[in-house]
Amino acid sequence: MKRALALLTSVFLVGSLMTGCSSKNSTTGENKENKNEKKTVVIYQNKVEIHDALTKYAAEYSKKTGVEVIVKTSGGDSPYAENLKAEFQSDRQPDIFVIEGMGGYNTWKSKLAPFEGDEWIDQTDLEFVVDGKVYGFPVAVEAWGMAYNKEMLDKAGIDPNTLTSQEAYKAAFEKLDSMKKELGISSVVAMAAGPDMRWVTGLHNFNGYLSAGLPYGDKTVLNKLLNGEPDMQRLKEYADWVELLFKYADKNVLLTGNYDAQVGQFATKKAAFIHQGNWIDPWLAQNNVNFPMGFAPHASVKGEMKGIFIGAPSFYVLNKDSKNLKEARDFINSIAMTEEGHNYMVNEAKMVPAFKNVKLKPSAPLSANVTEWLAKGTAYTWLQNDMPDGFGMGTLGPIYESYAKGDLTKEQFIEKIAEKIKSIK
Amino acid sequence: MKNKQSYDRAVFWMFVTPALFAFVMVVIIPFFMGLYYSFTDWTAVAGLKPNWIGFKNYTKMFSDYKFLYSLFRTFIFTLLSVISINIVALLFAILVTREIKFKNFYRAGFFIPNLIGGLVLGYIWQFIFKSVVPAIGSALGIQKLANVLILSNPNLTLFGLVFAFTWQYAGYIMMIYVAALLNVPQELVEAASIDGANYWQKLKNITIPMIAHAFTITTFLTLVNSFKQYDIIVALTNGGPTAMFRGDVVNSTELLAVHIYNVAFKYNKMAEGQARAIIFFIMLSVISIAQVYYNKKSEVEM
Amino acid sequence: MISKKRLKEVLLQLLTLILFLITIFPFFIVIINSAKSSLEIVTNPIKLPDRWMQLFVNIKTIWTNPNIRYASSVYTSVIITVFSLITIALFSAMAAWVLVRRKTKLSNFIFLLFVSGLIIPFQVVMFPLVSFFRMINEAIGLPMLRTYHGMIFAYIGFGAPLAVFMFHGFIKTIPLELEEAAWIDGCTKPQIFFKIILPILKPIIVTICILNAIWIWNDFLLPSLVLGIGQNIQTIPLAIAAFAGSFVKKWDLIMTAVLMAATPIVIGFLLGQKHIIKGMISGSIK
Repeated sequence: MKRALALLTSVFLVGSLMTGCSSKNSTTGENKENKNEKKTVVIYQNKVEIHDALTKYAAEYSKKTGVEVIVKTSGGDSPYAENLKAEFQSDRQPDIFVIEGMGGYNTWKSKLAPFEGDEWIDQTDLEFVVDGKVYGFPVAVEAWGMAYNKEMLDKAGIDPNTLTSQEAYKAAFEKLDSMKKELGISSVVAMAAGPDMRWVTGLHNFNGYLSAGLPYGDKTVLNKLLNGEPDMQRLKEYADWVELLFKYADKNVLLTGNYDAQVGQFATKKAAFIHQGNWIDPWLAQNNVNFPMGFAPHASVKGEMKGIFIGAPSFYVLNKDSKNLKEARDFINSIAMTEEGHNYMVNEAKMVPAFKNVKLKPSAPLSANVTEWLAKGTAYTWLQNDMPDGFGMGTLGPIYESYAKGDLTKEQFIEKIAEKIKSIK
Repeated sequence: MKNKQSYDRAVFWMFVTPALFAFVMVVIIPFFMGLYYSFTDWTAVAGLKPNWIGFKNYTKMFSDYKFLYSLFRTFIFTLLSVISINIVALLFAILVTREIKFKNFYRAGFFIPNLIGGLVLGYIWQFIFKSVVPAIGSALGIQKLANVLILSNPNLTLFGLVFAFTWQYAGYIMMIYVAALLNVPQELVEAASIDGANYWQKLKNITIPMIAHAFTITTFLTLVNSFKQYDIIVALTNGGPTAMFRGDVVNSTELLAVHIYNVAFKYNKMAEGQARAIIFFIMLSVISIAQVYYNKKSEVEM
Repeated sequence: MISKKRLKEVLLQLLTLILFLITIFPFFIVIINSAKSSLEIVTNPIKLPDRWMQLFVNIKTIWTNPNIRYASSVYTSVIITVFSLITIALFSAMAAWVLVRRKTKLSNFIFLLFVSGLIIPFQVVMFPLVSFFRMINEAIGLPMLRTYHGMIFAYIGFGAPLAVFMFHGFIKTIPLELEEAAWIDGCTKPQIFFKIILPILKPIIVTICILNAIWIWNDFLLPSLVLGIGQNIQTIPLAIAAFAGSFVKKWDLIMTAVLMAATPIVIGFLLGQKHIIKGMISGSIK
């Protein structure tokens, strides 16, 4: 009798705990999907700064169409690519996720479904295409160059339009450096190469080696890199540019600075240039920074540079195993093809849209400047995301840092980069 | 009698099962899965069956200078942390077990950093090392301090990590020392005082031997937790800054736990990361068992 | 002679105070910088804020930030911590009791198995654990990842070894006579445990719960794998990590977020300070 009772209590005890937990769970996630037979689309994206705007847009979209769109966002210190891997190992895979170019495509190609005949494709030149098939929807246009403080250049008598070659930059940097006290700057360039900032060096700066001075879409240098062949002449010219930037940078910001420190240096008028893109607009706006500014080209290699680097940093792609593929495609299409979508991109998310049918113009200074450069039609390609996964930030980034610290000479810097390129094969 | 025996057995299983079940499911089974995976080309992607590849993941590891460097740095970090945390904790404990004012207030104060998680703590100290230290330097007019870039120097960064970890953990270890110190019989100390022993003599000859068993515990805890450190590093340095090792560029604070995670997730080599984790486990076991054995032995001798 | 002794006392007081101030200094830094804008921080991180009102502006930003979802993250952290504490303490005490009282080869083995869990580092099991949890769902349709029960279950598994070990050491010192007397009085074994043993275990339960609370409340790596970053269910550390995007580090808001993450547990500690410190001291040495 006693034994039976004991067994019963134990079963009850264990049982109550188990059910206690599982019943709790069912209210959190699954009921939603089961109760109302709404179709749901999960979008797992990486832009922390647009999460609000996108969620709001998704809610409006749901109201209109009855399709529930759940926005999940992961930026953060463990980067998106890693979290996405974990996401695919979990139970509920996203229907829409983000890739950042060929690297991401190669990692995920077995999971992707192409777009076909979607209306938005005709409205952009920046869609992500492999073998003639459209796989990615350009989230936005972004661009970087040498952003400058117009007032300071005026004071030093430098016309930003002349900044198109390494020689011109060198002369300008020397001039500004000699006027440091007058201008109140701590260094000419706000540049960062520390552990937090490897995306600036290993991706953005290195992209100059890959595409500066070449026709838009030219992938010859990139393809050589993917075959493990460095272009030594180009690399040498490029190293001169890196040397120039590092030489005229504030050591504190260069070696340990984070995004705040780098942008802050420029924003507080302690530097005349900053190596960043139009994504710094919101930071500047929040801190009421509004001096006139614009972009000049990177003189990454020898010769005349005519444009800044313009491209789509990331693309929405479709999970081919998604149960709601059609709904996912419709949602994406609505962003580019409806007025609400345009309003979301330009006014809510503060992005520069990649679509010709968008009539709204961005108000932020650098983004507005990007549209001007876009109109000139002399941009250079973004190829940094087409390198193998982890090559730019993981492999190249540390080399820049060591060079900035003086652990490597310029010759060693060239040698190391060449060596790493050779090891790609 | 037979009845009582089977009753006892039933009670035994009933009581041991909930904890044992969870433990086996969460630790033991994944442990053996991991052991198996470390001999395969496992990718963790659903639906792909791992293939047996023997010791390849292991041989690769020992020819990877990045792993060897990480191992070396982990040992240094562990050694420095164990020493620094124990010294600080013992000092705290001695101070707060004396008859001083606000004794309990100080005990609580020293313990508080322990409530702060490694991730949060890492951000705080990153901020202090990057922004606050130079600002203090320039406020005091000390140029050296104003211009020091702690987080760009591999060794200073490692010291910085030790410092931050000590800040977090010393208060906890202090509690163990406090408990041990309170157990030291006061008569012994008083007798020694009457015999004319000075403070250091008392400390060396009475207090330290009396709290020897505490050393076993504190050394074990600090050793294991330093060796496994992950959160603080990720938030404080994220593995950086770079250093030169055998003519190549390496990440100077990518200690083992971080290294394992990076190999698996950043470079997408799950099986290799798993193999490194197994080696990590073996080393940790050997070191900690050796330490406990050694300390137990010297406890007796004292 | 006396004055020398007094001098020594004063010096020790002073030393303690200085060490205390050093310990507290980072909190001071966090608080003053929580009340600044990014630009103010970049300009000077050690001066007092211009306007303390900015603190409330920052708190509001964090409170309404969609990545942090502060209220819901605190709720999640509380739920996970509380349920884990109760289950770890209860199940481990139950297991430890029968492991002490029943002396067989098997019980010995089980105890050793638990102890071996003390030296298995999390890094060895973390990758397979995620796969295994996924397999469970594939096999029996019970989702373990991204769920509360999966998270709590994992904490029981990881928390049990230390708790069992500590309870085991404590229960050994409880005289058997107590239980025998109750048995003769007609109590069942479970009654003996719940009515007699559990109350005796109170001090050690407090210690274990404190240790586990600090661990679980602050844990990052395990929830980042089981719950994922940027998901519906997120704990405070996950929220902070999701927020502190490496591309856009906003120190003003990170400092505020840090302040808000630490506040609940520090308040909890200060409220129960007396008991906690007593529990820590009495429990830390077996």
